[in-house]
Amino acid sequence: MSEHVASPATTERRRLPVFRLQEGIGLLAILVLIVVVLSSLSPVFLTQRNLLNLLIASTTIAMIAVFTTMLMVSGGLDLSVAATAALTGVVIAETQEALGIWGAAALGVAVSALVGAINGFMVTVVRINPFITTLGMLSVARGLAFVIADGLTVPVFDPGFAQLSEGMIGPIPLPVAVTLTLFVAGWAVMRFTVYGRAMYAIGGNAEASALAGVPVQRYRFIAYLLSGLSAGVAGVFLTSRLYAAAPQAAQGYELTVIAAVVLGGTSLAGGKGSLVGTFIGVLILAALTNGMTLLSLSTDYQQIIQGIVLLLAVGLDQIRVGSLGRLAAMRT
Amino acid sequence: MDNNRRPLLEMRDISKRFFGVPVLDRVSLDLYAGEVLALLGENGAGKSTLIKILNGDYQKDGGDIYLDGELVTLREPRDAEAHGIRMIYQELHYAPDLSVAENLLLGHLPRRGPFVDWKAVDDIARKYLALLKVNIPPRALMRDLSVVEREIVEIVKALAIQARIIVMDEPTAALAPREVDILFEIIRNLQAQNVAIIYISHRLDEIPRIANRVTILRDGKHIATRPIEDLDTREIAQLMVGRKMTERSRKTAPAAGEPVLRLERLTRPGDFEDISLTVGRGEIVGIFGLLGAGHGRLTRAIFGADTYQSGQIFINGTPVTIRSPRDARRAGIGFVPIDRKVQGLVLDMTVRENVTLANWGQLSRMGWFRRRLERANTQKWVDRLGIRMAGGVETRTRYLSGGNQQKVVLARWLEAGVKVLILNEPTWGVDVGARADIYEQLEALAAQGLAILIVSSDIQEVLSVSHRILTMHKGRISAEFSRADASEERLLQAAAGGEA
Amino acid sequence: MNRIESAPLPVPRGRQAATTISLAATFLILVVFFAWRSPNFLTAINLVNLASTLAIVGIVAIGETLVLITGGVDISVGAVAALAGVVTSVLLLNYGWPSIWLCALAALIAGTIVGLTNGLLITRFKINPLIATLGAYSIARGLAFVLSGGQTNLLNDPGFQFLGRGAIAGIPFSLLLMLLLYALFWVVLNHTPFGRNLYAIGSNREAARLSGIRVNRHLLVVYAVTGLLSALGGLINVSQLASSAPRSAVGLEFTVIAAVVLGGTSLSGGKGSLVGTFIGVIILRILDNGLTLLNISSFWQDVARGTVLLLAVGFDQIRQRWSEREARRGQ
Repeated sequence: MSEHVASPATTERRRLPVFRLQEGIGLLAILVLIVVVLSSLSPVFLTQRNLLNLLIASTTIAMIAVFTTMLMVSGGLDLSVAATAALTGVVIAETQEALGIWGAAALGVAVSALVGAINGFMVTVVRINPFITTLGMLSVARGLAFVIADGLTVPVFDPGFAQLSEGMIGPIPLPVAVTLTLFVAGWAVMRFTVYGRAMYAIGGNAEASALAGVPVQRYRFIAYLLSGLSAGVAGVFLTSRLYAAAPQAAQGYELTVIAAVVLGGTSLAGGKGSLVGTFIGVLILAALTNGMTLLSLSTDYQQIIQGIVLLLAVGLDQIRVGSLGRLAAMRT
Repeated sequence: MDNNRRPLLEMRDISKRFFGVPVLDRVSLDLYAGEVLALLGENGAGKSTLIKILNGDYQKDGGDIYLDGELVTLREPRDAEAHGIRMIYQELHYAPDLSVAENLLLGHLPRRGPFVDWKAVDDIARKYLALLKVNIPPRALMRDLSVVEREIVEIVKALAIQARIIVMDEPTAALAPREVDILFEIIRNLQAQNVAIIYISHRLDEIPRIANRVTILRDGKHIATRPIEDLDTREIAQLMVGRKMTERSRKTAPAAGEPVLRLERLTRPGDFEDISLTVGRGEIVGIFGLLGAGHGRLTRAIFGADTYQSGQIFINGTPVTIRSPRDARRAGIGFVPIDRKVQGLVLDMTVRENVTLANWGQLSRMGWFRRRLERANTQKWVDRLGIRMAGGVETRTRYLSGGNQQKVVLARWLEAGVKVLILNEPTWGVDVGARADIYEQLEALAAQGLAILIVSSDIQEVLSVSHRILTMHKGRISAEFSRADASEERLLQAAAGGEA
Repeated sequence: MNRIESAPLPVPRGRQAATTISLAATFLILVVFFAWRSPNFLTAINLVNLASTLAIVGIVAIGETLVLITGGVDISVGAVAALAGVVTSVLLLNYGWPSIWLCALAALIAGTIVGLTNGLLITRFKINPLIATLGAYSIARGLAFVLSGGQTNLLNDPGFQFLGRGAIAGIPFSLLLMLLLYALFWVVLNHTPFGRNLYAIGSNREAARLSGIRVNRHLLVVYAVTGLLSALGGLINVSQLASSAPRSAVGLEFTVIAAVVLGGTSLSGGKGSLVGTFIGVIILRILDNGLTLLNISSFWQDVARGTVLLLAVGFDQIRQRWSEREARRGQ
């Protein structure tokens, strides 16, 4: 009985590798299940055209989710990403004449980087809780977007700029290719680089990392900066795809992004998570949205189902961890 | 003390094993109402295991516990509490933003109708505070109190829930001398309420002032139980240590090389003052102090994890400015902190990732890790230090034993190529076999030219590895011994503030 | 009785008092500034107008304050408010329930159920509050759209409009209701064992548990109450607009959290007061109102709100670190 006070380490050591595999497979199984159900319900679902649509529609969330994953692995959080994406779009729309479309895009992305930098400054130097910081920034960025656009949706007509979302690389639409590249690059960065290692180390144990000489605050700052930057890039693609920038664009995406990341197994407490998981998480949410549209379920149901899927995934995970832990304790 | 009375608590022939290793071997303890029993022993003697069994945290493997002559079963802390047994841990459990009175009555606030009866809260709180003659305003917020006041509130709380036996674990560890006086006054008042107290402390000098009897454990065995009048501190120290003299420490110390680390009058008022010392190439210097002597804080300051107010640090004769652990690492200083799980390791990262945590610069090119080099270097240290784990260098450090975890932290600094290694309580919570192993590694490292500073409250540890030993008392260096001159009694006395 | 005289006499609630004072100062500065810049600001009409718009955020903020004190967070409040409005109108219009008040009651129950679900997810399934209420947010918002078919429904029942637009002796009824609730919950929070236990739970959950407080049960009640109050906020909104829309109260959760945090309640739990929240709510409203009077585009209101939040919390953070440093030096 008393043994389990000291011995879970040994039992855990044995079951852990298998266990982690199960976790990924569970997520994948959910995705496969969704795909199977949707394709049996709708003949259109598995067509190439639809799948491309599905992917293109998910790129905004996906691009941001790459960097939100990194940020959350380091124990951070960014609620301002969607507002920043909208702000970037508006900046592009309003400056396209003065700067030319590409100059405007560059300015828009620079603004998003600035937003990220301010977030980083507030969190690492002033030391305000990330939730509050980025919540305030959400308000500011969204408000600025409305102010700059005067509340209006502004068209962005430029054939070259539109190519950003309509162009193809071989059979793959450009935004999808960019997103995939970001995922692959991000995955490699998280696995093989100093920066990725820093994210896991800081999220896992910030104090120990600092005592090992890791410049904790610098890396956290960079993570917020990149998060803002990614929102800007996503904003550029969104604007290109819609031929317009609207201050209310991407409303609520911050929560969808977090849902996708958490669905993918990244912990809000930091230290754990992977881009593979996030990738599957994004696909699950995208497939759900798309499938329900095909089934002409009103978009209204999508939110409900998304919420249920999120809670089921996280909740089942908790239950499994709990019951397996209890089993392990009983066995010893 | 009326010895004809029946004891309030009897623990008879308590045994306990961890992983087959006996930690307690038929230990007995009795406790009478209204007395203070000091429970003494070195780290690893079995004190805390015994206490945790009493509190229902651990289950005994053998023996019986009687309360008022009746056999009791203590399966969990709640059982212990129901029997009036209350632990006061070093880490206090309180709600900082509630008042003293509310903390005293937490979970049992008196009501009048649906509301809190604040008058009753005040009255009850005042009553208990007055019982122990405590003058803390019941409406003050806990967070505004000093450490000793919070501890006292915790004691009063024990009284308020009708505790008959209160166990105090190192209650004076974080206290200033004046505060210790206050605490002792409270403990005497507690005795007057007929409460029995088990008092655990490493500060031998305070034992005669507060205890009625002492029970001494060594290596999991009961050594002696005597009235305090029959013993002086020196005898207590001897009983704690036993006749065993560590053979390894009797080797003559090698001659120290040129100074690598030199501190000159390093000071942070209230924590450590006027600390000057040198550690030479190939030398192991030990600093021995009782808990709260300031030696732990000194190490953090040298490493840049805390600040110092004045004084200077020299490395190889050159003054260095150290404001952060990064500065320290750059200057060639490594630091093995006291709590490896909180401050040392990223538990969910692998052995490889933890070993290389302080050496990213050399193991990466353009920000990308050189995986093969990283793995090879880690393997090298794993082999050299004999780090053992089930799954190779990709095992998460969470699943390593305490000794192996400590070696991982050690390996990190060797990998970073430091010239000076500072260790704060290096074998805290490490079992005996692994300890000897770590000491041997340290000696080998010193022989290769590393300068090592070990800071510890464990006298055996300091004696067995150090070439030279300093003692600290109240933030100052109180004595210095060569390896040949040092003995446990002399160290204990010097650390307790007595003459060496 | 004189053993501890040498100890520094504690200043009860010192820190909280300082926060409240700086809040009050912010409040005054805003009032003075707007009164100076706009002649219409301090008129009776404007003040009544301002007061009548306090209730929605104000009432929902009560629940959020409780949640934050326990160390949690609830971001489903806006969705619950919208759902409550939709439930009311759908039951009345589509299902032909006889009385709008009966529908409103059902809406309040629906809100409570969402809150209870949040509580269960957090206590039983041990899901992080942010994630749990994020899920609930999605579901509640989606339900609002599904039930209403995405439609805005007119609801101009004169009796029901009293809730949001009525006045008693010139004072808006919704404001009175809000003041009543603040008084009620102030008493609960400060003078009942339940309320005090919430602080204990937020400040040290382990200590609370060890003291025999049923932590889970308390959390369940807190989230349920928050659901209920959010639904009430939603009903007031419907009453004021004389219509219900599934997309109403978008972003309400963020405004509410901003107001509560502005009021000095800590995200890490254990600290906070309804007085602070009250002032926080008023500050945000005055900001909106004042900017409107100054003919500054309403779009600036979001910017101003976020900026005030960041500045207030930032200054507070810096001040706290300062006083801690001072305290350390003083020792």
